[in-house]
Amino acid sequence: MSTQEKVTIHQLPTGVPGLDEIVGGGLPEFSFNIIAGAPGSGKTTLAHQFVFANATPERPALYFTVLGESAIKMLRYQQQYSFFDPAKLPDSIRFINLSQVVLEKDLGAVLEEITKEVEKANPAVVVVDSFRTMVRKPASDMDLQSFIQRLALFLASWQATTFLIGEYAEDELRDNPIFTVADGLFWLRQTAERNSIVRKLQIIKLRGQDSVPGLHTFRITDAGVQAFSRTFGLSGHVKNPPSHRRLSFGIPELDKMLDGGVREGDSVLIAGSSGTGKSVLATQFIAEGIRQGEPGIVAVFEERPQAYAERATSLGLDLETPQKDGKLEILYLRPLDLSVDETMHSILSAVQKIGAKRLVIDSLAGFEMALSPGFRADFRESLYRMIFALTGIGVTILSTVEVDESFTEFPFSTYSISFLTDDIIRLRYVSIDGQLRKIMVVIKMRGGNHAKDIREYEITSKGVVILGKRLANYQGLISGIPVRSDRPDSTEEPTLDTGIEHKT
Amino acid sequence: MKTPPETRDLAHRLLTYEAVAGKTSEPVESVALRVYEKLRESIGVFAGVASFQSLAFRALTQAKSEAPGLWAVQIAADGSLQGLGEFDPQLGEFEPQLGSYKDQTSEGGAVLVARILGLLLIFLGEALTFSLLRTAWPGAALDDLNSGHGRKA
Repeated sequence: MSTQEKVTIHQLPTGVPGLDEIVGGGLPEFSFNIIAGAPGSGKTTLAHQFVFANATPERPALYFTVLGESAIKMLRYQQQYSFFDPAKLPDSIRFINLSQVVLEKDLGAVLEEITKEVEKANPAVVVVDSFRTMVRKPASDMDLQSFIQRLALFLASWQATTFLIGEYAEDELRDNPIFTVADGLFWLRQTAERNSIVRKLQIIKLRGQDSVPGLHTFRITDAGVQAFSRTFGLSGHVKNPPSHRRLSFGIPELDKMLDGGVREGDSVLIAGSSGTGKSVLATQFIAEGIRQGEPGIVAVFEERPQAYAERATSLGLDLETPQKDGKLEILYLRPLDLSVDETMHSILSAVQKIGAKRLVIDSLAGFEMALSPGFRADFRESLYRMIFALTGIGVTILSTVEVDESFTEFPFSTYSISFLTDDIIRLRYVSIDGQLRKIMVVIKMRGGNHAKDIREYEITSKGVVILGKRLANYQGLISGIPVRSDRPDSTEEPTLDTGIEHKT
Repeated sequence: MKTPPETRDLAHRLLTYEAVAGKTSEPVESVALRVYEKLRESIGVFAGVASFQSLAFRALTQAKSEAPGLWAVQIAADGSLQGLGEFDPQLGEFEPQLGSYKDQTSEGGAVLVARILGLLLIFLGEALTFSLLRTAWPGAALDDLNSGHGRKA
């Protein structure tokens, strides 16, 4: 069969931000779908969003309510969502209550009533909420199965895209013959994880097109359901070719250590203990980018954007003006029960909005703490997806991570994520001549010939300033307790410390 | 608590529209009944008979405190109204009071309609209530609560 002979299945917008991406572009026209989930999981809201996105006066939506939630109360609450447009009622969207037919008659009469209304209105969308409550008298599964089969056949013939909404527990989803009729099966669930509630959505089945597999988090806000695809809305996005451009920190000596700067599209990790200047370096990196015409995003979790900008001002870096000019966004991401996907959505939206080239995540520890407990367990995997997605579109990411200072080991991160990063810069304190000084070393640089020097630096009113040459007169610098070697400055490579465990 | 003036005005606009659309010789209570029936039908379609019946029962309870002439009125299980305009046999013996009683029942019909509209406005808000009224009275010019239009037959 040639491609010309294949039928084209049009896709309808779901009206749910993020869901089109998850279902593979949109909902197949004339499909017969079931939305299943426990009460309060967002089934009705999702169906309403689809209805409001697709109904027109020419091809209206019929929304049949049965037993259960009162239609008056349902509309009272649903109209609070921003997608709810009262002007669409009743020309484009008609609500029809079937409870009397269900109470007094049987499923055959219900089908007859739906048929009558569909023939009258010629709708593009039909919703039955909730079809499960129709089976109130003792009846076999076959009754409901037969009803759904006949309803599916009828509505498909009338070219209507249909949603049946049903309350189902997780274990009822398996081997349920009713679901075999459906073209699409959407499962919504909410689970309590310690003190947090996490909502997840899964496309268990969708005929005719590829949907993104797995559980996707979603949130219900004033705007209705918002879904967050596990692919962060970047599925099908062409990965940028590797760049050879180097991005400057605005610190010439550090750029030299990095063989000219950070390679564009890299993921850089700055690890160090408290007060070593991780955020200062990150701020200088973003400010230098703006100076060179590269918009940036700073995602902060531990302090407010205003405080972040004020601290930059104290270093002589202006982050206020670029924010006003749309060159910089400082995102404060600290709501309760955050998922990585939601964080990513906020970051990606900001990246796309201002065309950001540099992103600072300050810090990974704050990021992890902002997540719902259930997501913390998957933090490493989530970071991998996030870094892969962002660097794939050419964004250079600089993350800071706090590590505990130790005199027996030299850890780079508490998250064992160094394999996710292309470049690692380690900052630490050392005890020299009765002073607690700071040293910096480039641990790793993928695809670059970075310096192996251990350099001393200071945090001044101008930010991080690298002092003099490498510290050649000391041995055991990375232990934090070096020993003076009395060697003159030399270009010889310093020997690696013995007895120190390198942890990545 | 009395019905807000704007809700009462809306009820009167519907009653006036219905009176003009119908026969002028009809008693006022039958105009109120017609308005009530149209509300019953349109609310019943989207919310169901049971929902309308509960709404109407609540509205009647409120209306009785405002219009004692509704004392005999009842809401049937299907939401239909019974007893509007019926005379108390005992009162029938007192002819001089009859005129006053009839005034009370006709006003009672308006109060009941206003109370139903009031509940709709509380539960559904102005936009959806007017959307529903426009479905029931497609020819009436119903703009909003504060407009004095709607008398176009």
